[in-house]
Amino acid sequence: MIEVLTGILFTALLAGGVLVLGALGEVLAERVGVFNLGLEGLMALGGVSAIITVAHGASPWVGLLAAAGAGAAGGTVFAGAVVGLRANQTLCGLALTITGGGLASVCGKAYSGQPARAIFEGWAVPILSELPLVGRAIFTQSPLVYVIWIVLPLALHALLFRTRHGIDLRAVGENPAAADAAGVPVVALRFAYVVAGAAFAGAAGGYLTLAFVPSWSDGITGGRGWIAVALVIFGGFRPLNVTLGAFLFGVITALGFVGQARNWPIPPAFLSMLPYVATILFMIVPALAAGRFGRRFSAPAALGTAYFRDER
Amino acid sequence: MRMQRVASIGPGTVILTRIASVLAALGVGGLVFALAGYNVPMLAGKVIRGSLGDAFGLQDLGLLYAPLILTGLSAAVALRIGLWNIGGEGQFYAGAIAATVVGLNVDGPLPLMLVLLGLAGFAGGAAWILVPALARAFLAINEIITTLLLNFVALLLVNFLCTGPMRDATQAVTSATARIPYTLPDLFGELHWGLGVAIGLVLLLALLFARTTWGFQVRLAGSNRFAARYAGVPVPRRLLQVLLLSGGLAGVAGMLEVVGTVHRLQGGISNNYGYLGVMVAVLAGGAPLGVLPAALLMAMILNAGTVLQAYGVSTNEVLSLTGLVLLFTAVGERLAYYRPRRSI
Repeated sequence: MIEVLTGILFTALLAGGVLVLGALGEVLAERVGVFNLGLEGLMALGGVSAIITVAHGASPWVGLLAAAGAGAAGGTVFAGAVVGLRANQTLCGLALTITGGGLASVCGKAYSGQPARAIFEGWAVPILSELPLVGRAIFTQSPLVYVIWIVLPLALHALLFRTRHGIDLRAVGENPAAADAAGVPVVALRFAYVVAGAAFAGAAGGYLTLAFVPSWSDGITGGRGWIAVALVIFGGFRPLNVTLGAFLFGVITALGFVGQARNWPIPPAFLSMLPYVATILFMIVPALAAGRFGRRFSAPAALGTAYFRDER
Repeated sequence: MRMQRVASIGPGTVILTRIASVLAALGVGGLVFALAGYNVPMLAGKVIRGSLGDAFGLQDLGLLYAPLILTGLSAAVALRIGLWNIGGEGQFYAGAIAATVVGLNVDGPLPLMLVLLGLAGFAGGAAWILVPALARAFLAINEIITTLLLNFVALLLVNFLCTGPMRDATQAVTSATARIPYTLPDLFGELHWGLGVAIGLVLLLALLFARTTWGFQVRLAGSNRFAARYAGVPVPRRLLQVLLLSGGLAGVAGMLEVVGTVHRLQGGISNNYGYLGVMVAVLAGGAPLGVLPAALLMAMILNAGTVLQAYGVSTNEVLSLTGLVLLFTAVGERLAYYRPRRSI
């Protein structure tokens, strides 16, 4: 029993890490008012870039950096369209998903199905990894896992809610006209944080192909980008809540894996459906219980809208 | 030269912008292909000859055209009320499953059965969007994500059914259901009446939106939900109805595909019709009649994917072109509002 729980916890942290990175990136974009539906495509681009980089002899950390770079490059095109030219965010997001996925599939043709040449190896923390239950689950993971689950969420929370700059960027997402009047550079902030968020999404793809799976094949992202977008709503647009939500989804994904590995009497197809169905449920349930939370967890007011200074 | 933004543009400008955006996207795509070392003019010639050059090409194109009209119409209907149904792929499969179940288990004369199969397909598609539709209409939950996620569920379900409970037991190796004993009459050659049904539904819905109170209310709610509510339109109910209609249309596409073209349920039959349908709807600006030319363009791009496989171009490479078309359309849509500034 303990062994099963350890397995679930281990896989939950590993699998959920993809969602943490993707969803934190989306939080950044959405907090400045840009709805990035291209996460799935950015993840694919990041994933394939990471695989190609390590295939040429680089370390997984360099691979992850390449993944973030690929995400940022895709994000720059997206930001140019939606922030620069103020094109429809939904359309451009879908376009990014399709083009990113297609481009990744083309670039990854030669690497498809092979194991990654270098991966993020686990590292057993002395003493702590000997602990029952949590020892192997938490303290034998790659150090990257601690960065993803602890350092980044806390850093982003501090940035958003504990700094002057955080107030500026949230203002851009809530009321760009007011922020503009107060002298906040709306377009520059939107551009910067959309690109930064896209870099996170790219890194999520790199983490997927270098730590979680770890290999590349077409369609490997499997809707994780979309689940990450949903998580942001579920987590009330707050980094720490989003991270908790990602853990919940990690557990659900892990249940599916453990169930298949241990031959639970449920068809594997249904176990694989779990994360998708759970995402939909987790979008609906909080809405049913809404009102209790009030405005604290609501979306940035200007989310999804372009800002035209001449309409102010 | 300084530019200024104008408040509104005419329908002619909109159509011209669409055409310019598509040409620009194909131009940029062609440039990328050329840089990747392909002989673009030769390939373009092959595509045009392969799809428009002879009767076989035209039949293939027609077989792609019909489902794209319907999935495009499905997404366009939702756009009319300002919603995004990205779940066409899943509803397509749900309609196909429902039609297969009915087709394999119910006996009856062909005309009656075709009607019944059509209804089953519609019901399957509508059932698949029911939860996202209710959530959108009454809880304001983002329908983009919920409809999209159900695509993955539908794909898993179809693979489960075709390799498990519904697998054709007489065939040892297949992962498909038994052959459905009913089929659609042929229009010409391989092309069946599904295309006629699809075009008929386009005309029907164009009339519905242009000439009925219901259609007017939907368009009103699509342009301004608050104004519509103020004018007495039951907005949540319209949102629900439109999404169910949208899902049902994609379900009919799935039904026509299994009954008319593939004759059995198996994985992969959706051929990206659901996703491409969204692009059709965007190009059509949500107008039912606009779906006809837009779906033709997408059918040609999809057909190009098949034709070009023989020349070492993968389907994925061709499909990423559609993403470019979408991006350029979105950008063009915005740029169309800018004019050179008149001097004062």
